[in-house]
Amino acid sequence: MTFDLISNLALGLSVALTLKNLWLCFLGCLIGTLIGVLPGVGPIATITMLLPITFGIDPVGALIMLAGIYYGAQYGGSTTAILVNIPGEATSVVTTLDGHQMAKQGRAGVALGIAAIGSFIAGCVATIIIAALAAPLTAMALLFGPADYFALMVMGLMFAVVLARGSVPKAIAIILVGILLSTVGTDLESGEERLTFGWTEISDGLDVAVLAMGLFGFAEILRNLEITQARDVVRAAIGNLLPNRKDFAQSAAPIARGTLIGSILGLLPGNGAVLGPFASYTIEKKLADDPTRFGRGAIEGVAGPESANNAGAQTAFIPLLALGIPPNAVMALMVGAMTIHGIVPGPQIMTKQPNLFWGMIASMWIGNLMLLVINLPLIGLWVRFLKVPYRLMFPAIILLCCIGIYSINNSPVEVLMTAGFGLFGYAVVKFGFEPAPLLLGFVLGRLMEEKLRQALVISRGSFMTFIDRPLSAGLLLLSVITIVLAVLPAIRKGREEVFQEAD
Amino acid sequence: MSQSPNRRPSARSAIDIAGGLFLLAIAALGYLGGFNLPVGHLSGIGSGLLPKTLAFLVATFGILLIVQGLFGGGPALERWAIRGPFFVLGAVVLFALTIRWGGLIVAGPLAVIMASLGSDETRPTEIAIFAVALTLLSGLLFKELLNLPIPFDPLGLIPSFLSYAYAGAKEGIAGFFAALKGALTR
Repeated sequence: MTFDLISNLALGLSVALTLKNLWLCFLGCLIGTLIGVLPGVGPIATITMLLPITFGIDPVGALIMLAGIYYGAQYGGSTTAILVNIPGEATSVVTTLDGHQMAKQGRAGVALGIAAIGSFIAGCVATIIIAALAAPLTAMALLFGPADYFALMVMGLMFAVVLARGSVPKAIAIILVGILLSTVGTDLESGEERLTFGWTEISDGLDVAVLAMGLFGFAEILRNLEITQARDVVRAAIGNLLPNRKDFAQSAAPIARGTLIGSILGLLPGNGAVLGPFASYTIEKKLADDPTRFGRGAIEGVAGPESANNAGAQTAFIPLLALGIPPNAVMALMVGAMTIHGIVPGPQIMTKQPNLFWGMIASMWIGNLMLLVINLPLIGLWVRFLKVPYRLMFPAIILLCCIGIYSINNSPVEVLMTAGFGLFGYAVVKFGFEPAPLLLGFVLGRLMEEKLRQALVISRGSFMTFIDRPLSAGLLLLSVITIVLAVLPAIRKGREEVFQEAD
Repeated sequence: MSQSPNRRPSARSAIDIAGGLFLLAIAALGYLGGFNLPVGHLSGIGSGLLPKTLAFLVATFGILLIVQGLFGGGPALERWAIRGPFFVLGAVVLFALTIRWGGLIVAGPLAVIMASLGSDETRPTEIAIFAVALTLLSGLLFKELLNLPIPFDPLGLIPSFLSYAYAGAKEGIAGFFAALKGALTR
């Protein structure tokens, strides 16, 4: 087992350490950070925008680069959170609390430094966890029948409901809308067109990138334009980047705890990773000798959540790689990217394409190292970048988004559709729904329908198959428990409190 | 993410009622789109079963939300901006309509300028220069460096002497690197 782990990692390193792949990983991290640092551009929009630049590359290199872009965007989001007080996405919301306070006190450098160091440590641990868990989980995945897969995805979506902010009925409803959108296009079994209204452009189904760009790229810009942003880019000096001995002493335990919490939550289907930073922050605050320091620039409030954030971002790859089930919206996009390169995510990747699988895992660790090495020296550059006013930034983002979407299929129609989904996404947010569960439902929808049909064919039309199989029965039971707990008043209050922490 | 201040609580929740109506509209669309599809039977599900079932479920939640909004109370509806969405999404539409015909050199500045009208902080001269610079830069990045098949100047709007100068410079640089490589490998 241990020997396997080492030899597998060695194989991965031999793939990831080729000059070309190193370069792609570096480029991915750099460009990912560059775009991710833009306020209001989260990892989802970044990946969609940059997807076309990986087209000319072989699948292994492309995935390594995309993973780099993803980490870069994550880290870029944290940088923006600390320096401008605008979180790129939900997971860096917590970082704004103490990170931005530290920046105001002239300790921006230390905040960024500890975020990078914490993320690096978390990334190292998470990489090893992925490598260790991948093989057993993949073996387990082979035991899964269609019914079990279906049940697992139901459970994932139920987790997503619980972890979404806002009311439970709204979260369930928006997931159902996502699944409904996934049925658009030609039915794979009968060849009948569904919900296309005779429009041939969508007979292949909606593209996940188009939906994601509309929901997360454009809708976000529309929201940002409304809020007259008092963007207070930190004026104080960035200060020393390296934390001093006292900072390290204060951060060591939070980093360890954050890594652990983040890694475990990241494994959960249904966007567990989003909970990591919140949980870590809450725990650090409870454990602290003087909780009043939190919210006023406590370094633990940056170190813990940032580690949890990065650990979760990485272990979220496990459900995708081992089971072929994306646990959150970013991973849903990764599925889209893999499909473009002709890779079907799932347990067969590890056995059939060990180079790709282990190469990608090894590149995760290298990517984390690169983030540490390139980001800290380049912080001055990011700061200057952040000072570009939003009135110039958003037209530029729009142009990049248009070029990105156009280039995916060289299709102007898809650009038009993205505009439509932008409006749709704006409405979704305005009516108090969250767009992330919608995207997750969209991606899981197709898989769910396929597995549901297979399961019912095997069982000759009996729904009992979902209860007869112990695995599927257990998973469904767990989903029911989850959803019941979520609507219980006591738990609901706790859930609101966790999310309120950020507001 | 941030709650804007004009969401004040009231006896009826406009946001829930509107959200419910929104869901009903989606459900209606979904049901109509799958209207003619066969539902099939359980051992051989037809293509229409899932869309129709989902449409029913979405509608159920829509009604639930409306009821909840009518009696439960909650936040009011946020105000919808018109200017931002109109110009920003208009810019995207404009890009889609012009890219094939006019290439990036037409679609790029058009999209940037149109989008910039969505904000009241835009300054005319600044955005004009920015639009052109950005277009050239993205042309360089996507067309030259990444070789994406995006049309750049199909109408031939760039004066030919500039194109020649550019092609010449490119060849010169390529030649220089070739020579350098030759010198280094020797």
